[in-house]
Amino acid sequence: MGEFLSAVGDVLSSESTYLSGWRFACALAFVALGEWVAERAGTINVSVEGAMLAGAFAAVVGGDLTGSIWVGLLFAVVAGLLVVMIQAHLSHNLTVNQFVVGLTINILVAGTASYLNSSLSPASPKAHVFEVPGLVEIPVLGPALFGQPWPLYLLYPLIPIMWWVVYRTRWGLEVRAAGENPQAADVSSVNVNARRRQAIYVAGITSGLGGGYLLLGWIGRFEDAIVGGQGFIAIAAVYFGGWTLRGTMFGCLLFGSVNSFRISLPGIGYQINSEMLSALPYVLTILVLAIFSKRIREPQSLAQPFVRGLR
Amino acid sequence: MVTLQPAAAELLGITKRFGAVVACSNVDLKLRKGEIHGILGENGAGKSTLMKVLIGLALPDAGSILIHGKPSRIKDPAEAASLGIGMVHQHFSLVEPLTVWENVILGEQARLSASSARRRVKEISERYGLEIDPNDRVFNLSAGLRQRVEIIKCLRRDPGIVVLDEPTAVLTPQESEQLFRVLRRVVERDNKAVALVSHKLDEVLSATDRITIMRAGEVVERLNTSEADAPSLARAMLGRPVSLRSKGIALGHIEIDEGLAEEGGGSESEEPGILPVLRISGASAKGRDGRVLLDSLSLEVRPGEIVGVAGVEGNGQAALGDVMSSLLRLQSGTVTVGGKQIPTGKPGAMARAGVAVIPSDRHESGCVLNMSVAENLTLVSPPRSSLGLGILDRKARRSQAEILMAQFAVQASGPEAPMWSLSGGNQQRVLLARELSGNPKVLVASQPTRGLDVGGIEYVSNRIRQAAEEGVGVLLISTELEEVLDIAERIVILFRGGIVGEMPRSGVDIERLGLLMSGAAAATAAGAAAC
Repeated sequence: MGEFLSAVGDVLSSESTYLSGWRFACALAFVALGEWVAERAGTINVSVEGAMLAGAFAAVVGGDLTGSIWVGLLFAVVAGLLVVMIQAHLSHNLTVNQFVVGLTINILVAGTASYLNSSLSPASPKAHVFEVPGLVEIPVLGPALFGQPWPLYLLYPLIPIMWWVVYRTRWGLEVRAAGENPQAADVSSVNVNARRRQAIYVAGITSGLGGGYLLLGWIGRFEDAIVGGQGFIAIAAVYFGGWTLRGTMFGCLLFGSVNSFRISLPGIGYQINSEMLSALPYVLTILVLAIFSKRIREPQSLAQPFVRGLR
Repeated sequence: MVTLQPAAAELLGITKRFGAVVACSNVDLKLRKGEIHGILGENGAGKSTLMKVLIGLALPDAGSILIHGKPSRIKDPAEAASLGIGMVHQHFSLVEPLTVWENVILGEQARLSASSARRRVKEISERYGLEIDPNDRVFNLSAGLRQRVEIIKCLRRDPGIVVLDEPTAVLTPQESEQLFRVLRRVVERDNKAVALVSHKLDEVLSATDRITIMRAGEVVERLNTSEADAPSLARAMLGRPVSLRSKGIALGHIEIDEGLAEEGGGSESEEPGILPVLRISGASAKGRDGRVLLDSLSLEVRPGEIVGVAGVEGNGQAALGDVMSSLLRLQSGTVTVGGKQIPTGKPGAMARAGVAVIPSDRHESGCVLNMSVAENLTLVSPPRSSLGLGILDRKARRSQAEILMAQFAVQASGPEAPMWSLSGGNQQRVLLARELSGNPKVLVASQPTRGLDVGGIEYVSNRIRQAAEEGVGVLLISTELEEVLDIAERIVILFRGGIVGEMPRSGVDIERLGLLMSGAAAATAAGAAAC
């Protein structure tokens, strides 16, 4: 036990812990940002996992074809968007059960990406690390926040922009109304299902971006397990955050940190059962959800399809 | 009466079918500027459907609509709004977690500006005397205040035609009066046309200029309010002469005759010797979100007594019903049935102690719509086969169901008919049959006549009275004052999760009742009690 605690101490004082914690948290945050919008509009968009995976694969294809990180990210966004368009159409035009749709999409994407990867084996250059002058000098946290591969920085402006869009624009108001009380929104002449679909598109875009960042920022090659449930954890982060943006982002930070802890401990010489450690973020997610589920106020029509004329 | 300018809205030959049901059949309606037009009819008479056609929530199968003399096709609410038709919705047009101003401007096209929206809300509220704080969140508001928000939302677009659908359903009598004062102001100042849809005789008589009466999808009579009286309206509405006393619930009419006071209903049950069959004392409960649901609520029901719990929706009716269905556990306080204390929130405990429940949402927690009548009737204690192993005896179930269906005059194609194929009134009979067949000590009925037609209301009320005569203690929870006044012998008033007053039916004072319901008299009552 004492050994473990000193290991924890070492990890907490190591810069690399923060570096990798932030890196994981940001991958989750890209996805959770869009998922938060989708859920505020009333959809638990399970297909973000698939969108993230599609984004990662499209990014490596884009990078392989052109050698440009920008093109890779663009491919990622388009792929994420395409994946969730299936979800949006099936769950909010045809009112098929959104979970069944989401799970099916995830399996479809995983299979397709794996097959294409083994037959094409694309490889992309990695995005270079950009150190923000001055800020990167901040002790302990500087390199984590400001010494990362440059696509990560796309996240920073996205967070306040998304907040502003949801809370300060008419579109955002209608999205929130659609998630809380679609009947009321409908009689107030809001096109509920259009808003819900659009919110899902936002989730697809940010998830694709998250997948692209993950691949182009860190690995450069596609692996089947590259996403490995991070889309699901992003959904859990929205839940954990009580459907507030601040809470959601905090959730990403928490879950991301646990993930990095798993990486860091063996990295500085402590061998704790690695399977146990890999399970840690998921165990924590379950614990957190079990503990916090009571006080959380979710959008009142979350996961309920809306059909006009039905009350 | 000759009018030179065209009517604000004219509906001609409107017909609307839902499947095989004809909701509106060849209906004409003319709404004039500067008038409040009452559209009176029973539940299911087609008046709401007619308004849905006008507001763009339903497309008519036949007929045409003229707005200010121009033929118009209204395909959705946005179209209706652009034609100057606004609706004050009662039930589902406010988004609770949003603020007042956000709700008011929801659905508009212009750029979002919080400050101008707040200003506009202020302006309208001052103009019509509808005081409200634009920054309040709707879930913090009472039913009366929510309706103010609805009205402001409707008036914000300055519509020429305002439609109100059953606007007083959740209001106290005082709040209703205030609403009608506002409507009068709207009509006189701005020369708007107002359509007031209602099944309540009293409010149509007191608030309107002109009345159209609908029955079974057709217009049966048009008249000026000044020429109308309650008995003639009731006759037209129901198609036959009725005693207003017995149909008071359906017609929203409160008759206070002196004869009733002499009857002195319930005097024998107030003898001190008889022990209450149900006693709730100091019941307090909080919701998961920490909201107070019940606040040291105490009441007693004696055998054979019908106690009505009156109150505005959202003051603890649901929680009280949940406690009696073992769905909610009390934080403090006790429930005693037949002298024995029953643990709260323990599944099945209340039912085993002899508490029968008719829930207010019969579709959600009263029955299983996709199961047969027989299955629903025997859901609680299905007849077991002699083979054991939990195998059901289908023959016994069928015969049991047939007996109950005959006793309670359930109209269905047979015991195997799916529950959803029954009319609301027959579904309620199935529920009554199931609950009363277990010989309960206590019957808790929440809004037992909601949504039923006159025949159904009559049957259900009589069955409840009959149960009381047989010695069952009845607790009637209802937000419809007419229902409470019609069935109950003693009335207790529920406000913010506690009982704030009590009065016998025979000496009922409507004004005081209304004040108690709104909480306004709580302080006075407490003061009086202290003396």
